[in-house]
Amino acid sequence: MEYRNLTEKEINILLKNRCQCDNWNNIKVKEKFEPTNIICVNFSGNVKIGILSDTISAHNNIKKTSGIYNSTIINCQINDNIYISNVATLSNYTIGENTIIENVNNIIVSELNSFGVGKNIEILNEGGGREIPLLPNLSSQLAYVLVNYRNDEDLQNSLKKICDIERKIHLSDIGMIGNNVRISNVKEIINVNIADGAIICNATSLKNGSIICNEDSHTYIGANVVADNFIILSGATVDTSVNLENCFVGESTKLGKQFSAENSAFFANCEGYHGEACSIFAGPYTVTHHKSTLLIASYFSFYNAGSGTNQSNHMYKLGPVHQGVLERGAKTGSMSYMLLPSRVGPFSVVIGKHFNNFDASDFPFSYITEENGKSVLTPAMNLFTVGTKRDTEKWAKRDKRKSKIKLDKINFDFYSPYIVGKMENAFNILDNFYNETSKEKEYVKYKGLHIARLLLKTCKKYYDLGIKVGIGEHLIRKLDNADENSIIEIKRELNNKNISKFREKWLDLGGLYLSESDWKGVRKALINEDIKSISQLNDEFEKINISYYSYAWDWFSLLLKEKYTPDSEISNEVLVTVLKEWSVSKLKLLNMILNDAEKEFDINSKISYGIDGDEETRDLDFKYVRGSYQENNFTIQLKEEIEKTNLVTDKLLKLLI
Amino acid sequence: METTEVRKRVKDSIAKVLKIDQESISNDANFIFDLGADSLQSVLLVAAFEEEFDIELDENKALNVQTVSDAVDFIQEYLN
Repeated sequence: MEYRNLTEKEINILLKNRCQCDNWNNIKVKEKFEPTNIICVNFSGNVKIGILSDTISAHNNIKKTSGIYNSTIINCQINDNIYISNVATLSNYTIGENTIIENVNNIIVSELNSFGVGKNIEILNEGGGREIPLLPNLSSQLAYVLVNYRNDEDLQNSLKKICDIERKIHLSDIGMIGNNVRISNVKEIINVNIADGAIICNATSLKNGSIICNEDSHTYIGANVVADNFIILSGATVDTSVNLENCFVGESTKLGKQFSAENSAFFANCEGYHGEACSIFAGPYTVTHHKSTLLIASYFSFYNAGSGTNQSNHMYKLGPVHQGVLERGAKTGSMSYMLLPSRVGPFSVVIGKHFNNFDASDFPFSYITEENGKSVLTPAMNLFTVGTKRDTEKWAKRDKRKSKIKLDKINFDFYSPYIVGKMENAFNILDNFYNETSKEKEYVKYKGLHIARLLLKTCKKYYDLGIKVGIGEHLIRKLDNADENSIIEIKRELNNKNISKFREKWLDLGGLYLSESDWKGVRKALINEDIKSISQLNDEFEKINISYYSYAWDWFSLLLKEKYTPDSEISNEVLVTVLKEWSVSKLKLLNMILNDAEKEFDINSKISYGIDGDEETRDLDFKYVRGSYQENNFTIQLKEEIEKTNLVTDKLLKLLI
Repeated sequence: METTEVRKRVKDSIAKVLKIDQESISNDANFIFDLGADSLQSVLLVAAFEEEFDIELDENKALNVQTVSDAVDFIQEYLN
């Protein structure tokens, strides 16, 4: 776009409007520039101004005439249809079209900087050693390997290279405020890039950061927010007195209500209110809602923190080292405490205060409780709870991200090779204990945990049930809409599987399930520089995620052969057995969840209802507030799932027998 | 097996799992309200009964048993 000098007439109008400038020759304007709407403005340095004559819709549809009023503008490019009013200093910025900036003390780029990009934050260990750089395209997968795979020097060097490229792209002494941005009533914005469509309203201080936004999902920074060294991604809301220092806020994450965090990364769809986070890796769907909750130096994923959850460790000697790992779907109960380092397996619940370091990662779906100072593990028990069922169903529905390509690759499959592989491993551990433990013993000990001997057989049985459901679920997916020909094809495919082929380990890379060999492929491409940028890396993860069910079927088909017919061909009879075992196991599982749901309506749940009445009043009060077991949506859905399981079983058995 | 024998061994198992005095367990005692069993202890009780009588119980049905006398009847069905 061509800019010209101001005409004499235009300068006179500006002077008449009480504007000042140290050198009017440094002010360039577009051809159809209109000076009327520039009033009481001090100009300094090189300034370019577009056409300021149209109206812009502000908050509550209030129309404002574009222009610059009561402000100081230093070294800025101001594009068309912008409303700037009462800005004490606006310095070194390019401002997009249709943007409103009003009642702001300072918006300044003070020096050559990268707007938070590349700033290292200390995740998992407050003392350093696992730093990750703040990046506008940091996915939970990239962060996971950066943080966790420190043993792999070649990988770290390759990742450092692509991260450095990204940082250099953002180096500038001119900041960017995009199109359709709304900034109002803010004390200071220093060295912050603000993308198209972002809304910043009543924030206190934003320094050294980037606010990413897209048209589909606005990013909102609200009242009294203080943030220093940060990246905030599209769709995120950071509001009501949040205090952030060295933080990454992922897509559609919500932080508010005085939440404070330092050296922490929150990936997609996290929620943080009231509490405190220090050096945490909050994988997708990490949720902490309560006061007095301190999450410290841990890796979380699909995690829910009960009120008063605390993992601090005041016994350190060589520095503040914690490092906890709470795998996908873990929960910590109210006032629970864990001495770190400790590790919690997927979909497990921690209740009580644990003063031992423990490693429960081999046992998914467990309860970890405290009994007279012992950490007691009850394996597999959380496989049958309402909580697990509800959580796993709600996550996919609550994905608030609106962009077509989502940065964090998240897989919601409940029976993934990763989880079923863990159940297999847990089964084997319990089986060994069961065969080797004397009946005199009350507990067996495993990695800082006590497991009741009496439960070895029961929990082993539950894991076996979960494995059968997992195999069946993936077979049913293949058999969906199957006819006789497709069954022949599936049998051929299964019979061609070489069961001597090692059933490989799977990983849960910050929400993405992938086989170890797929990860190794990505790693090799990084080291060979076939992957040269972060966007290429994210694309690779996207491809793997898209092909998940095909890769997972490879794994499950090997497991199916191994378990049901290791030495012979897959026949219809074998498929019938798999199907029947799936059906029986799934129905048992669903019925146990139904039983768990029924407890929500038992006599205990009615305590505190019908405050001043008799039992009849209590029951009626409960019914009006909580409804009934029969009419509850969750139980209705479960019953429908039971019915569907029976229908699918009948349909496929007819085809196979 | 005689009902009295089953009852005695049921109470033995309950006493061991819940760490309470066998004498304090009445026939009509409710596992949750009277004996203070939580959901994890209920699973332990089922496992203890299975081991004591060398039987395999249907967990769904077993976990719905609420009193000592009901447990005795439930187990006796399996033994018979």
